[in-house]
Amino acid sequence: MLDQVEPIIRVTDLHKSYADTEVLRGISIAIAPKSVVSVIGASGSGKSTFLRCLNFLERPTSGTIAIDGESASIGQGPAPSARNIARLRAKLGMVFQQFNLWPHMTVLGNVTEGLTQVKHMARKEAAELGRHFLSKVNLLDKQNEYPAKLSGGQQQRVAIARALAMQPKVMLFDEATSSLDPELTIEVLEVMRALANDGMTMLVVTHEMGFARDASDRVIFLHNGRIEEDGAPDQVFLAPSSERCQKFISSALG
Amino acid sequence: MSPALRQMLDPTLFWEYRAVLLQGLMQNLSIFAESAILATVPAAIVAVVQRGRIAPLRWIATGYTELCRNTPEYVLLVWVYFVLPLVISKVIGSRFRLDPHAAAVIGLGVAYSGFMAETLRAGLRSIHPGQAEAAAAIGMSPFKTLRRIILPQALRRILPDLVNQLVSLFKSTTIVSLITVQDIMYQVSMISVAEMRPIPLYTGAAVLYCVVIILATQLFQGLTERWRKRGWS
Repeated sequence: MLDQVEPIIRVTDLHKSYADTEVLRGISIAIAPKSVVSVIGASGSGKSTFLRCLNFLERPTSGTIAIDGESASIGQGPAPSARNIARLRAKLGMVFQQFNLWPHMTVLGNVTEGLTQVKHMARKEAAELGRHFLSKVNLLDKQNEYPAKLSGGQQQRVAIARALAMQPKVMLFDEATSSLDPELTIEVLEVMRALANDGMTMLVVTHEMGFARDASDRVIFLHNGRIEEDGAPDQVFLAPSSERCQKFISSALG
Repeated sequence: MSPALRQMLDPTLFWEYRAVLLQGLMQNLSIFAESAILATVPAAIVAVVQRGRIAPLRWIATGYTELCRNTPEYVLLVWVYFVLPLVISKVIGSRFRLDPHAAAVIGLGVAYSGFMAETLRAGLRSIHPGQAEAAAAIGMSPFKTLRRIILPQALRRILPDLVNQLVSLFKSTTIVSLITVQDIMYQVSMISVAEMRPIPLYTGAAVLYCVVIILATQLFQGLTERWRKRGWS
């Protein structure tokens, strides 16, 4: 598949260490546009760190990250500039486990903040665009509420709208449903599925094996900072070649 | 009650001198306002520097706050009024004087900038790192993140603390007469010497201070209440 299309994400030999623990030990991967890739693995396997390195929320120790023609390298040549990183971030939308909505702004304010402050869009135009994305996550009626008045599921959907409003090329989901009750998880997963159907490229770090299995095109299993298994969901879930992956999946589904 | 005693306690004396006393109070109010504004400058610089990565700057900032917080305001006032002009005169090589009002503003401003810096720093630190990460993820610059995301939340959180500090600052303005500022305490002591009736004057000053502070804090409380009603804080 990757032979035919230019990948939208290409990560080459990504390493990340904290003091003397190496969290990522050389990750290389190419991801095709419009694909949905789930990243699974035990806690501590490095999956969140991997995602956070892509937009430099964590600074990689070394490696190259290229997203839709914008690339940043660490370890060879000059360190990437702030502009370089900003351009990379413009390609990526991110959704966090803890939502991280800004509590002092209304729902619409959260969604339009990046448009007015980063993209310098006129207020009226930004509000229109913001409302468009809020209606995509079915929360247009909450536009004037403050986040504290919303349920966890609603807050996470606002966070998704906030990321989408910046019109990124790729969406990163960092355990987006892990802090939600099961009944609220469903509404967030529905939004994510709809987004996948719209053809958004998505990288999803998740514990939701159901989502990984039936909503993604590709599943990556991370272990000890390395990609241990990489393939179509059926292959990874039904016939993984790595024993560790087999164990992880049988315990996760167990 | 003997007529002499009644005269000694007569509260109308305070009213008789209202013009001078009001003039004194205006001194206190203006020193309060000016030093409060002055204090925010070093406080903001120190708080931001202490978040930064440059260790020597952090040490200087810490040294500054410790110095401000642990030096009695009275000592600072006297130092700024008497010593600082001498130092400056030596440096510039000609006579330099600081008027009492300016010295009071600088002294109290410096003293309270230490407390304010600490409060501000604690407020900035209390904001969850995820808040800044969400801003970084949409490409917001660190400065804008501070201004738009972190600071507004931190300020609302530290507001009660800040109000307490402003109250103490206002109370501290009563010592400025020690460096010859003609504030309300200065006027009160002058009049009580002249009239030989200190009770109504000092009592009046105490009540006046109390009333001004209560009114001001009520105003702030109304403000915080409004924020709370918006559904967060």
